[in-house]
Amino acid sequence: MEVFAYQGLIGLSSAMYLWLISAGLTIIFGVLGVLNFAHGSLFMLGAYLGYTLYGLVGVPFGLAVLGSMATVAVVGAGVERGLLRPLYGLDPSYQLLLTFGLVLFVDDLAKLIWGGVFRIPPIPEWLQGSVTLFSRPYPIYNLFLIAVGLSVGVGLWWLFDRTWWGRAVRATASDREMAAALGIRTPTVFSSVFMLGSALAALGGALSTPVRPVAPGIGAAMIVQAFIITVIGGLGNLRGAFAGSLLVGVLSSYGTLWFPEFELFFIFAIMAAVLLVRPQGLFAR
Amino acid sequence: MRTVWLVAVVIGPLFGASWSAAGPATCPLGVAAIKLGVQGVASGPHADYGRQIEMGAQLAVEEINAAGGVLGCRLEMRFMDDENRPAVGVRNARFLVTEWGAHFLYGTDSSGVAMALGPVLRELDRIQFFTHAATHRLTEELVAQQKIKQIVRVSAPVYQDAVAAWLFRDRRDVRRWATIGADYEYGYATWAIFREQMRRLRPDVEFVGAAWAPFLTTDFSPHIAAVMATNPDGILATPWAGEAVTLLRQALLQGVFDRIKVWFQAMGGSVDVLEGISQEVREGRFQGKLYATSRYVHNWPNTETNRSFVSRFAKRWNRMPNYSAETTYSAVYITKAAVERARSLQTDRVIAALQGMRIETPAGLRVFRSEDHQFVYAVPAGKVVWDPRYPIPVLGELKVFDPKDYWRWPPFRPLELTK
Repeated sequence: MEVFAYQGLIGLSSAMYLWLISAGLTIIFGVLGVLNFAHGSLFMLGAYLGYTLYGLVGVPFGLAVLGSMATVAVVGAGVERGLLRPLYGLDPSYQLLLTFGLVLFVDDLAKLIWGGVFRIPPIPEWLQGSVTLFSRPYPIYNLFLIAVGLSVGVGLWWLFDRTWWGRAVRATASDREMAAALGIRTPTVFSSVFMLGSALAALGGALSTPVRPVAPGIGAAMIVQAFIITVIGGLGNLRGAFAGSLLVGVLSSYGTLWFPEFELFFIFAIMAAVLLVRPQGLFAR
Repeated sequence: MRTVWLVAVVIGPLFGASWSAAGPATCPLGVAAIKLGVQGVASGPHADYGRQIEMGAQLAVEEINAAGGVLGCRLEMRFMDDENRPAVGVRNARFLVTEWGAHFLYGTDSSGVAMALGPVLRELDRIQFFTHAATHRLTEELVAQQKIKQIVRVSAPVYQDAVAAWLFRDRRDVRRWATIGADYEYGYATWAIFREQMRRLRPDVEFVGAAWAPFLTTDFSPHIAAVMATNPDGILATPWAGEAVTLLRQALLQGVFDRIKVWFQAMGGSVDVLEGISQEVREGRFQGKLYATSRYVHNWPNTETNRSFVSRFAKRWNRMPNYSAETTYSAVYITKAAVERARSLQTDRVIAALQGMRIETPAGLRVFRSEDHQFVYAVPAGKVVWDPRYPIPVLGELKVFDPKDYWRWPPFRPLELTK
């Protein structure tokens, strides 16, 4: 029983990384209708900026994470206004091509700036160590991740359900023309949503730096999982992304324990099982 | 003064042209330069390995050219990124040989790329000196069985990881072994040959658990937790490069080193891994339980050849040489020796010149094994320690075993690969 509980708790912390990256992806798709291939690149950029501020410049870890989020949010605004906006009226394949091109561009840019060598700065002192849970040491860093992930979940719920901005976003997502007719500045809503999604990707990236390698290409590995999660949860559905992250994170963890031979196949099996039962995703309306 | 400049501008290119035209005249092999096509992964999370291949090759080329070339022929090299993708590796090889005119090929990190290149090398009839790809199948299947003579491997194959069995054979307190393995052929092969050797040396040993991490895994927490649930005394881990650093960091977070007796990180002696865990080693956080090997370690052997190579490499590139740098550097010198012996660039003659070759390299004496075109040499294993003489951790308490004891030898019987 203790083994089961511990493995589940480990899976929960993995799920929180997935949640942070898939939340941004699904928000952007839900409102803008853009399937952003470059979302993983924003995750990578967040990781590199977090590493630079915290690992190289020596900024305290918390501030480095916030700095990384703010910078990537600005980059996101630039991408949305400068590159995506001219494509909104065109066939969606143009958006896919553009965002895929961005993946290649940002990867090479990262290599040019930070080199090809992977980077892992030390874990902040206040997040080192472990606590005993289910008779085994459980990393404080993982508990911190769970706390951040859950806080982001609550924060997003509050933002979308309890603020004027959230109502404007939901109205825009529901019917752009009607929202514009009611006086909502939809271009501004689009930009702010893209900034929020980018900042969430950067949050995941920056939080990963002390325990995961920062290197060109890490975004590509993350984006595949994020896409799977958004498909499982229902494209554009935030609750679905949260549930999908938990499902994939925790079940994958149990898969590693019980079916190590099928590790690679497990996440796709979950997706296939969900799609067979609910092709539109778990939470799609 | 203007006249002097004018003369220089007019005469300069002519002088240069006459120097390059003189190249073939002094090279008895009838070529302007001996062209070396080099490839490795130079993008993505493993990009440093390709970079090390490139640095090793370039240093050798510069040294050889400065000393008069090969039989008076200048060396010229061109590096390409194979992106760790078989299709790209094959495309590069074809380009390097048919378009650029490479006489010899070098490098490649991925076993998948290496296996795809094999048949193409036969078609192109060019020798490739493999300097990283570790799969046993490259030499056992493609050379020994299928007789693709154009394949030559300079680096130690996956056999090297079986040194762990010999390293811990006298540790009676380490009975329960588990693996956190790379979820592809390399991980399966290492676990298979380790178990085979261990069963022979220590019949009392049990293999209690295994977790398999796909390529490019960044979160090893579930694998660590799953393996630790089996209460192992020792863990054999095969993820490499940045993945090895990530795995070790995450293992520390889960307090693994408080609960196990030894951890063997198969490729942990690689420079990039040692750089990545530098702080943790200095702080003693692995509690003296972390051991590793590699395909070459820069602090062994203690020979003038090796010390001089490490010193020149560090001066040239401001880095310590990784194994892929040493193997590629040595491969270029092996080419030099073979071409000088063959006095030809023809594949058959160069291969004939390789027969029986025993050559002193930074990694020590390398001996050509004719049955599978594998260069045999010893690489030690040891404990990861901090040594103030070096800028990064090194392998200490080194133990060297004869490859005859733990490498696979012809005739080869198929290796049963199971998870």
